[in-house]
Parts: sequence; C-alpha cells; structure tokens
Amino acid sequence: MVQMRQSTRAARGIRVVAPGLSWALIILVALYIAVPMICALAFSIYVPTTGFTFEPYVESVRDPGFFGALSLTLLITVLTVVGLLAIMVPTMVYLHLKAPRWRPVMEILCTIPLVVPSIALAAGLVTVLRSMASFGRGSAPAQISQLLQNPDLPIVLVGSYIVLTLPFVFRSLDAGLRTIDLRTLVESAHSLGASGATVLRRVVLPNIKGPVIFCTFFCIALCLGEFTMAVTLGYRTLPVWLTQIAGSNFRASISMSLLINALTWALLIAMTVLAGRAAPARALALKGHES
Amino acid sequence: MTLTVTRSDAPSGTDPVDRAADLVHSLHARPERRVNASFMGLIPFLVFIALFLGVPVFGIVLAAFRVADVNDPGNYVPSLANFVASFRGASWDAMQNSLQISVIAALTGGIIGLALAQAILTTRSKKLTAVVTVLTSVLANSGGVPLAFSFIAAVGNAGIMTGLLSLTELGFTLYSSGGLILMYQYFLIPTMVMVVLPTLAGLRLEWKEAAASVGATSWHFWKKVGLPIATPAILGGFVLLFGASFATHASAAALIGGGGVPLITLRIDSGLAGGNLAGQENVAMALGVNMIIVALLVLLVYMPLQKRSLKWFK
Repeated sequence: MVQMRQSTRAARGIRVVAPGLSWALIILVALYIAVPMICALAFSIYVPTTGFTFEPYVESVRDPGFFGALSLTLLITVLTVVGLLAIMVPTMVYLHLKAPRWRPVMEILCTIPLVVPSIALAAGLVTVLRSMASFGRGSAPAQISQLLQNPDLPIVLVGSYIVLTLPFVFRSLDAGLRTIDLRTLVESAHSLGASGATVLRRVVLPNIKGPVIFCTFFCIALCLGEFTMAVTLGYRTLPVWLTQIAGSNFRASISMSLLINALTWALLIAMTVLAGRAAPARALALKGHES
Repeated sequence: MTLTVTRSDAPSGTDPVDRAADLVHSLHARPERRVNASFMGLIPFLVFIALFLGVPVFGIVLAAFRVADVNDPGNYVPSLANFVASFRGASWDAMQNSLQISVIAALTGGIIGLALAQAILTTRSKKLTAVVTVLTSVLANSGGVPLAFSFIAAVGNAGIMTGLLSLTELGFTLYSSGGLILMYQYFLIPTMVMVVLPTLAGLRLEWKEAAASVGATSWHFWKKVGLPIATPAILGGFVLLFGASFATHASAAALIGGGGVPLITLRIDSGLAGGNLAGQENVAMALGVNMIIVALLVLLVYMPLQKRSLKWFK
C-alpha cells in the first residue's frame, strides 16, 4: 500500500513544467485572450471627451445601413439553417438506411469544402456568375445568374454557406445516427403505419436532436460572422457593413461587432456544452471558415 | 453467323420453364438492382453539391487554365500563362509572404499551445480543463471582422495598449506581417490546445507509474513513451495551424484591406476587383487553384497523423 502510494506520487511527479510556471503561462495566455476583448469593450463604452456612454451602440443602430444589413443577414441565416437541415437530415438518414455503400463517397464529398478556402470558392462563383452573365441580357444563363444573385434573396450565398458547413455537419449527423438503432426505429414506425415524413419528423429527429441542434447553432454562428464570401460576391451583410462604417465611425462599428461576437460565442459555447466533451476527431471539422 | 441461340436471346414468357427461370433470375438479380438504385435518394444532395461546390471549383480551374486570345480578346484559349504569372512578381511575393507568415504563426501557436495544454494538465484542475475544453472550441472558431476590430482597439494605431505600453515607440505596428502573426494566435493557440489536449490527457497514469516503477525519470518517460505517442497529434496540430493561417482571409482583410502586407488571399481579392482588363482575374483563379493544392496537401498530411494519434486511445 505504502509502496503503491509512493509509486503513484512518483508517477504524478512526472511533469514537464513546474506548477508555478504552468500557472504563469496560463495567466499570460488568458491575458492575451482577454485584453483585446476588454479594449474593444472599453472603446465602445468610453469616449475620452465625454466619459462613459452608450452612444456608439445607439449610433451603430441609427446608421442608415444597419437595418438593411441586419435583415439581409437574418434572412440568409434562416434560409441557410432551413436549407441545410432540409437537405442533410433526409440525406443522412437515407444514407444510413438504404445506401451505406455510398458513405465513403459522401464523406469525401462533404470533406472537399475543407480544401477549398472560402476565398477560392468565392472566386470560383464570381467567375462562373460573370461568364453566365456575359451571355447577354435576357439569355437563359444570364437570367439564372441574376436569379442566383438576387440582391434581396441571395440564393448563391445561402447555397455556399450550406457547403461551408458540410464537413462539420456530415461528421456530426453521421456520429449521431450511428449511436441509434435507426433501422429498428424506422421499421417499427412503418409497421405501425407511419408515413416516411412522419417517421422522419416524429421518430428519427427526436433521436438525433443533439446533433441537429449542434449543427443549427454552428450554422447560425457561421452565417452571422461570415465575411469573405459575402464581400466577394458583393452583399452587405452585417460583417461587411461593419467594415464599411469602420472608417467613419470606428466606435459604432466596434460596439456592434462586440454584440455580434458575443452572440456568436454564446451559440458556440451552448453548442459545445450541449455536445459534451469535444472529441479530438472533431478538431478538424470544427476549424471553421470564419477566420 | 452462328446458329447458337444464347439464353438471353431466347424469347421468354411463353414456356413455363423459361418463365420459372426468369423468375429465379429476377429474384437473384433483385439485390443488385437495389444496390444500383440505392443512390437515388442521394440525388437531391448530389445535385446541390454539384451546383454549389462542383460548378465553382470547375469554374475556377477552367478559368485558371485559359487566357484571353490576343487576336480576339472576347475569346479564350487554353494556357498555362496564369500559373506562370502566379509564380512571378507581386503574386509570387504574396504567395511567399503568406507561406512565411503561416509557418511562423503555426510554429508560434503550436509551441505555445502545446506548452499551454501541458500546463493545464499539470494544474490537475478538472474545472480548468472543462472550461478550457469549451473555450478552445469557441476561440478556434473565432476570427473574422470582430477579431480584427478588437485587435485594432487593443494594439492598433490608436489602440489602448499601444498607448499604455508605447508600442509604436518600440517599433511595433499591427498592420504588418508580425501584427498578423500576433492576431492569428487568437485562434491558432486554442486550435493547438484542442488538438493535443486529449492526447496529452490520455497519456495514462498507469504508463507513468509503470515507467516510474522501473526507475524511469520524468525525462526518460517523455523521451521513450510520452513523446512517441503524442508526436502524431503534435505534428498534426502544426500542420492544421499552418493550413488555417494560410487560408485566413476575413480578419486579414478587415485589418489591412488592400494594401500593406502582401497575402495570397488579399491578392485574389484585388485580382477579382480589378476585373479582367489586364487578365488579372484569371491570375487570381490560378492563385485560388494554388491555394486549393496547398490546402489539399495539408489535409492529406493531417488525416493520417490524426488517425495514427487516435489509435492509442481506442
């Protein structure tokens, strides 16, 4: 007993860094993480000439471009989430039930977005849309190009955002569907007379609620923060609008940016806590396209 | 011309024996048919991904491999000129600078992240580990415009810390390669922690005990057991950080916009904005293809390393 304790103590003694040094490093990195946020907050609520104020927040909301950017971003977010779930949930359920042979193909397809940086994807879209438009006014390609780029309903952006979430969403839904006995669930529901849509909505969905919420939050966070595709394709979403007003009113832009960031972080925190401890395998999928 | 009638050529459905044979045949064929039809339900997805991923990727590759015809500028001819141009002049400067920044940023973030992960484990605080697990996955996904703005507020030209620490007098400016490397650490360090923490935490106490019981010192344990097991995860982390830095566009664009520091992502931006008057748009496409190749290499190196590191913990 005594010996065992000693050996445990000896084993625990295996350290690379002394505890004091460890804490020093942790505090340093914590400062590095906290300081920019605190400075941004200070910038948004303290103006040297007038003291403490919420004026920058008010100014950002009063900016003529704000509501347009907000409503466009919200519309894109809603459509992207709905589109993502409408495409991916039935596809993944079908894949597990009827077409397991196709799983490797699907996995590769859903991983491709990781090797296409969003600026490259945006560049590809720009060149395709431009060459379609060059067919001339009224021609079918030009009309499709116009439809996809409708300024009020940017389908091209919604589709691209869905693509950007695929590596993550595939892994998440795939893992979720693996943990449940999908076949038995679906077959028993069918034998009780439930239709395909009912089975999906009332039997399968409640059983993969975790991954679905996970994907939804991730998707919302991506839509709220995505800048590269939006600016390259010429849409004034919230992040794009922020960079446009930064030149004339930096305090207003930073206050709104803080609010958006807080919301994004809250979503990501909720998502991670809901999912429990992050598995190492998730690291790759989690590395998003926002940076 | 042969007179032999093969079975499949024979008219079926008249003779009962033939019909029975057909039935048996169809019963056997059934599973095959189901397999062939099995991807039918995937068609909506396949159409979607073809439109929004296949078409743009095809578009960028096609555009990268052609240039406007000298004699007839409205027409395009196949050419490697865009790729040649992408390895010359300002484009090549941008590529080199991007690679250089990414290597330095990945090494910095990787080393700090690795030390931080070990430091967190050394404290043996479960609460701290839980908080760090959540925070790292949030911070690894942070970035974009808000990141650039908060760094401008902290250490930009008129930043609070710039004034407090008189950074300008020390020769520091955020709007430089060094500034970008500093800013990238915000998502790189957490990414590294996220990748290596589970591996380091998984170095089992029993292994350490076993090593200690045969008289191994801390140094021996890490040299012979710890590092060999952790190496794939650590290398994978470095590679991932490199890829993340290399592809970063949003925060860099929000920080330095068009000028200042040459970066491959910003070069693509300006090539697209400039239109195709000087053929810059197609050079931008070649740069995009170069980026895809780099990202592909990153993934091809990362995936086996990750698989290797997971092997120990199954």
